[in-house]
Amino acid sequence: MTTQLASLIIAALSTTVLLLIFWPDAGYFWRWRRGLASTKRVLMEDALKHLYDQEYNGLICTLRSLAGSLAIGGDEAASLMARLQELGLVRLHHEGFELTAEGRKEALRMIRIHRLLEKYLADETGLSETEWHKRAERLEHNMTEQAARELAAAVGNPSYDPHGDPIPTPGGKLPPKKGVPLTELEPDEVAGIIHVEDEPNAVYAQLVAEGLHPGMTIRVLEKSAQRIQLIADGEEIILAPVVAANLTVERLAKGEEIKGPFETLTALGVGEKGRVLALSHHCRGQQRRRIMDLGVIPGTVISMQMTSAGGDPTAYLIRGATIALRKSQAEMIQIERLKEAA
Amino acid sequence: METPNNRQHILDEASTLRWEIGENLHDTLLESIYQDAARVSDRVVTRVGEKPRFDWDRTLDRVLTSRWLGFPLMLVMLTVVFWVTISGANVPSGLLAELLIDTFHPGLKALASNAGLPWWLDGLLIDGVYLAMAWVISVMLPPMAIFFPLFTLLEDFGYLPRVAFNLDSIFRRAGAHGKQALSMAMGFGCNAAGVIAARVIDSPRERLIAIITNNFALCNGRWPTQILIATIFIGALAPPALAGLVSAGAVVAIALLGILLTFAISWALSRTMLRGEVSAFSLELPPYRPPRILRTLYTSLIDRTIFVLWRAVVFAVPAGAFIWLIGNIKISQMSIAEHAIGFLDPFSLFIGLNGVILLAYIIAIPANEIVIPTILMLTVLSARMTGIGEGSGVMFELDDLAATMNIFNAGGWTLLTAINLMLFSLIHNPCSTTIYTIYKETGSVKWTLVSSLLPVVMGLGVCFLVAQLWRILG
Amino acid sequence: MNIKDSGACATCPAHNVANLKKLGVNMESADFVIALAGNPNTGKSTVFNALTGLRQHTGNWPGKTVIRAEGGFVYGDHHYKIVDLPGTYSLLSTSADEEIARNFILFGKPDVTVIVVDASRLERNLNLALQVLEITDRAVLCLNLMDEARRNRLDIDVRLLAKELGIPVVPTAARQNEGIPDLLAAIRQVATGEFVCRPHRIESTSKNLRLALDQLVARLEVAFPGLTNSRWVALRLLEGDARIVEAVQTGELAGLVEPDQA
Repeated sequence: MTTQLASLIIAALSTTVLLLIFWPDAGYFWRWRRGLASTKRVLMEDALKHLYDQEYNGLICTLRSLAGSLAIGGDEAASLMARLQELGLVRLHHEGFELTAEGRKEALRMIRIHRLLEKYLADETGLSETEWHKRAERLEHNMTEQAARELAAAVGNPSYDPHGDPIPTPGGKLPPKKGVPLTELEPDEVAGIIHVEDEPNAVYAQLVAEGLHPGMTIRVLEKSAQRIQLIADGEEIILAPVVAANLTVERLAKGEEIKGPFETLTALGVGEKGRVLALSHHCRGQQRRRIMDLGVIPGTVISMQMTSAGGDPTAYLIRGATIALRKSQAEMIQIERLKEAA
Repeated sequence: METPNNRQHILDEASTLRWEIGENLHDTLLESIYQDAARVSDRVVTRVGEKPRFDWDRTLDRVLTSRWLGFPLMLVMLTVVFWVTISGANVPSGLLAELLIDTFHPGLKALASNAGLPWWLDGLLIDGVYLAMAWVISVMLPPMAIFFPLFTLLEDFGYLPRVAFNLDSIFRRAGAHGKQALSMAMGFGCNAAGVIAARVIDSPRERLIAIITNNFALCNGRWPTQILIATIFIGALAPPALAGLVSAGAVVAIALLGILLTFAISWALSRTMLRGEVSAFSLELPPYRPPRILRTLYTSLIDRTIFVLWRAVVFAVPAGAFIWLIGNIKISQMSIAEHAIGFLDPFSLFIGLNGVILLAYIIAIPANEIVIPTILMLTVLSARMTGIGEGSGVMFELDDLAATMNIFNAGGWTLLTAINLMLFSLIHNPCSTTIYTIYKETGSVKWTLVSSLLPVVMGLGVCFLVAQLWRILG
Repeated sequence: MNIKDSGACATCPAHNVANLKKLGVNMESADFVIALAGNPNTGKSTVFNALTGLRQHTGNWPGKTVIRAEGGFVYGDHHYKIVDLPGTYSLLSTSADEEIARNFILFGKPDVTVIVVDASRLERNLNLALQVLEITDRAVLCLNLMDEARRNRLDIDVRLLAKELGIPVVPTAARQNEGIPDLLAAIRQVATGEFVCRPHRIESTSKNLRLALDQLVARLEVAFPGLTNSRWVALRLLEGDARIVEAVQTGELAGLVEPDQA
């Protein structure tokens, strides 16, 4: 009796310990592995990326901005910079630092890998938006040039990452920066979002939660020091200027139509028809290609046929074939309802 | 003219152009293709007269996927398939066993002794290799030869995608694909076939889930084990009038536990190990088509039944030889099998099984069909019983339940052993045919290992838990 | 479009023997290689069986042929090898099946690609057919499931369709063995070069894309003169298709040029 109890308790304890150690991602074993990886080299690579970011945005890199970006102390930042200077990757410039040609090349290499990884995670894995950047930050430091090339090939040598940032070519070429921060728009101006900054995470999560994404058309309604009110996909959104500054936009002509909000495929009842207007940007990678291959492209007329006995997948008549789509997929297909031609 | 330099130049130009075209090249392209397709088909296709007033497909679909009738109809259909398989397979299975095991085996033995074959060669080839093969064929062939054609007919008719359609909402909650219902149903016939059937799932993550969890569908080779043990041990607990019902209930409970585990493991996998794998659902419901019965019978027999049977036989042959050898090679007065049983006993008894069972599961990896014959042989061997069975290393089964019960009693079996054996039979590694098939289908050592080791660890854990609780409460 | 010279080699097989061997096709005693492409659920395997007879049926696991099935038949004076490609909706999405089908048609250069389509769902099936015609100009359209189209009261102008696509179109109902002799005849005509296809090519609606394509095609035609599907190759390069990038980089593409034009 007591032996049995004891063995049960021992088994329960050892299982718990094993789970704590090996639980994917959060387990101690994985944390320890990540801890090992966070070496001097990683800090240096991150510093180079920070320097390049500042330069691309026309800002000056100081010890302070570096310490803030990397979440390290001022002393550590100073010794890091000293080391980078020794290596000839960084030099002093006015009151801050700037990259040497050599340093810029290295920074671009890192940025390329980072953005390729984000594109890969977005398109070819089931991970959510807020995880892409974190994962990429972790994986980027252990990639060889060869692995980066293979990764690029695997996602179709993309030219933009999912946040709308251009991906440098292997030779380190990057198109010049386009657009302005959203905060520079005046009321009534219409613009297209071209970039959603993914750092800091809290701000990014807020932008994602509001459904803002590259490729979206917006119009500013009101602007004050405390808040910017805008309309996007037919919905009104209010952002604090600090948050809005993380969106880069390109001005469009005033008359440009603002589309939406749209109905989605889920709105159709049995026998009702709709014409596809667009596929939401959330539908990406293999999922998007698959749905398009099945014939769901702008202009396709779809009629709803039946719901399954279980309630969720719904069968639609798409270009002559009956295709079942899950609710989560149907939600990504924006349509305009067609009146039944009697 | 054509130089590597030139070629690299083309590629560079392509990358630069890509920035100008922007991100949605694929979208633009497909739109263009479909526009052309629509233009062409509009020109060449005309509808003559009205569409037939009565649309069979639509009406059938309404019934088969309706909220009230969908599930009951599906249950009826599956019950019929299983019932026909089980009841239809009994007779040919018995005939085959009589022919291959009761008639040919002694015949071959007589032939061998007349030809003056040395005892070890005769034993190795006829008692080992031949018998294992005969067992696999007689247990496996008849149910599969009935089950696969029936299943294929339903598929040919177009019903199976509707099953996937109806069940998808349940599977979706477990992070899986509705079509897993089909690979699972196939798994009740044979796990190797179920793993291959997972091909219909074209989303990588869901396909892996279906492959890894297929083992929890109680396959054809394991039903006889469940039925035998349930009849002898569980049925005996109930009054004689209810014995049949109770033991059948126990077997069904094990099969249902398997389905439950399928969902639980699918859910856990999709949230942990397989979280990052890409997922893209798609399911076409093709029009109903009248099944071509003869053609279906022929192809499903050749493609599925013979194919799977062949793989099983290939794996059973060496196992038969191995089983005979460990029963007959002696080291210091004891056969290797007895040494192994002695070695496994302490641990096995601790988790509520016994050394014989564990050893049988280790050496009978090639096919679940030979687990019971191996257990009986090993029990007789290790208990040093005489007058029962066919001699050391020779697998056997008895028609008489009471006699089988006697062997188990001599082996020291209790009700706990029986329950744990039923559980372990459900939750252990897939047979080697299935393991090989998993490797062929996934092409990955990692996923093959996961699907093989995960169930063993779970099975041992479950047996351990049950044994400890049993001892505390009992 | 590229019109073949009626030169010495009009009747020569066009398939690429070395690549086919690499793709695992046993080429002994076959004069011509036929590939069978099509959407899932169009009765592709039935057509395959109808062409080859019962002995070489395909391993038909539910819904699709993942292992590429092969068979052979004799028609007239020639031995034909026929390869059943996995059923796909498209050739653009880089799933494993699509890659197998795409690579076979591009690198194996079958003498004829038979595109099996569902006559009652022509528009959706033409998506794949048009993509195949971008890669190869030796194709036959097998308008299968005509029985279902008739049941749905659909009338298809076969001659107009053949003219639009620039390839022979044969209506069949493979389940009833209807139209199979005509299909065989059409395969022979295209294989022997008796019928020269002038396949339909997709018009892009995007001006940006057209300009980019023109620029790349010009480059490709300089580097690989005689390449018949340079526009398709250019498209794949713009999409960053790894396999095609590799074929350009290594010069493998040069091996796929029509023999009488290289």
